[in-house]
Amino acid sequence: MNSAQIEIQLIASLVAVACAIPGTFLVLRKMAMISDAISHSILPGIVVGFFITHDLNSPLLIVLAALTGIITVVLVEYIQKTGLVKEDTAIGLVFPALFSIGVIMIAKNANDVHLDVDAVLLGELAFAPFDRLIIAGTDVGPKALWIIGMILIITLTLLIAFFKELKVSTFDKGLATSLGFSPAIIHYGLMSVSSVTTVGAFDAVGAILVVALMIAPAAAAYLLTKNLKKMLVLSVVFGIFSAVFGYWVAHWLDASIAGSITTVLGLLFLAVYLFAPNKGIIAVLYREKQQQAEVSLITFLLHLKNHSEVEERHVNHLREHINWQKVRAKKVLDLAQKNNMIHIENDVVSLTEKGETFTSKAIDYIITNEDAQIEDMKDDFFLFRG
Amino acid sequence: MEQKIAVKVDDLTVAYNYKPVLWDIDLEIPEGVLMAIVGPNGAGKSTLIKSILGILNPIAGSVSIYDKPYKKQRQLVAYVPQKGSVDWDFPTTALDVVMMGTYGSLGWIKRPGQKQKKAALEALEKVGMLPFKNRQISQLSGGQQQRIFLARALVQNASIYFMDEPFQGVDATTEIAIINILKELRKAGKTVIVVHHDLQTVPEYFDWVTFLNVKKIATGPVKDIFNDDNLTKTYGINYKVSIQE
Repeated sequence: MNSAQIEIQLIASLVAVACAIPGTFLVLRKMAMISDAISHSILPGIVVGFFITHDLNSPLLIVLAALTGIITVVLVEYIQKTGLVKEDTAIGLVFPALFSIGVIMIAKNANDVHLDVDAVLLGELAFAPFDRLIIAGTDVGPKALWIIGMILIITLTLLIAFFKELKVSTFDKGLATSLGFSPAIIHYGLMSVSSVTTVGAFDAVGAILVVALMIAPAAAAYLLTKNLKKMLVLSVVFGIFSAVFGYWVAHWLDASIAGSITTVLGLLFLAVYLFAPNKGIIAVLYREKQQQAEVSLITFLLHLKNHSEVEERHVNHLREHINWQKVRAKKVLDLAQKNNMIHIENDVVSLTEKGETFTSKAIDYIITNEDAQIEDMKDDFFLFRG
Repeated sequence: MEQKIAVKVDDLTVAYNYKPVLWDIDLEIPEGVLMAIVGPNGAGKSTLIKSILGILNPIAGSVSIYDKPYKKQRQLVAYVPQKGSVDWDFPTTALDVVMMGTYGSLGWIKRPGQKQKKAALEALEKVGMLPFKNRQISQLSGGQQQRIFLARALVQNASIYFMDEPFQGVDATTEIAIINILKELRKAGKTVIVVHHDLQTVPEYFDWVTFLNVKKIATGPVKDIFNDDNLTKTYGINYKVSIQE
């Protein structure tokens, strides 16, 4: 690996981390689409900043772009508050309007400079190492690395300082207000951080990848954990993994770095979506199938408990009485036997002691819906896990 | 002895998009009562509580908690929102939600520590939810979620408790458990204000009641004012509720 390669991976990783943090809260606040809106509508801010400074890395650009980001959020909320259109419609109205203003400004005035729509949408990470930051004649690294590094430090500081406030206002706005934490301040704080991060990441990875880096890692982490801190850590890990692995995919395929990172993110989410232990599709399907079997089992045990007559409990009569197909009846019979809940003597089925207690407990639970009694059954049965 | 006024509402008018949902409410809630706010859907019951707590901004009127504006008295007040107002899929545990009740006394930036954790565990114990402290909140039943909310309010150790429909969607056991805790709070001299839906249980659960339907209809002791006349005025149809003495 040469130093340019390391620098590109480092920039991509820092961008991923800086995006994953606000992204986690956007996902939890069901505001994922706002990041899409911000990433597009900051364009006029960047263009105006560029006209004033003629420098793509000027801090003024970041300030102006962040300001346009906030304006986007305010406009969306204002339109939504009128009650005439819903939030998604408001987003769809605001950001194309602002983005197109930026596009027209570029086309009219900036045709001959390094600021074009392609670069805005996709960025060009590969060129980032060429734009160096020189302080007092010494080369201290790529400018993009310094910009995103600073943004990341600010984001991390804010996250650590206001973690509690972010958590409570995201979970329960009403409580946060009544406790004296202004959710409005937190909300606009988060929007500002999202806007600034987007601007910082923009030049390196472009508007589309910024959205992917904010949303995909957080969405994948959400499926894997029940703990907010772990969700943040997982988002960060997923972001870094996609950034580094995506870079090498681009290297092997000789393709766009931004595109490869986004593809890796998409595949990563797909894998989690399929294989997540609890919320993944496969786990859900498996659980449903198990629950179905368990319901059948309990129905069967209840039948045994309610009927003492021998003819009702004969192996061959069961099928007719509970009205099950042969395969299902056999499966349930096997399941009950495997769990030592029944024993079969001369083809007559009866409940064992374990089967008796289990059935009583299950009925109790179904009637009272009280959890405490079935705590010990949760490990063995999906049905009782709620 | 003159009873202290815990909550005083003066000429409160609240509007959504210029349409008033609460008109000119005057209300005095004496210290130490267990009060139900009753009224039909859309009567502004939740709105009244939210306006008192500063969650909504009234277009006119004022609210005071022990003679001072709410903003100066936050520490004295605990709030239990409607269960449906939050996303129960949020990645957090029962204990963590209860801990949030301590955030108010901590203020900005400061983090909860061992003291807060201990208080939260005690509150969980009180509502019978200690065995579920590490359970993810989406894995709790409706009644359990309500108990967690109650524990979160208890941990605030407030003087006045506002609760928005704490009995909604809970089973009978939880309802009894909750009302017993509310009665205990009253015994300890706290003021408890509950948005309530089930008129049948008003005389049994509460000692004070406010009838509300956009305007205030009546407020006072249950035994004096919980009658057919006020019920009819509030709900607009003939109501017959037997009151046990």
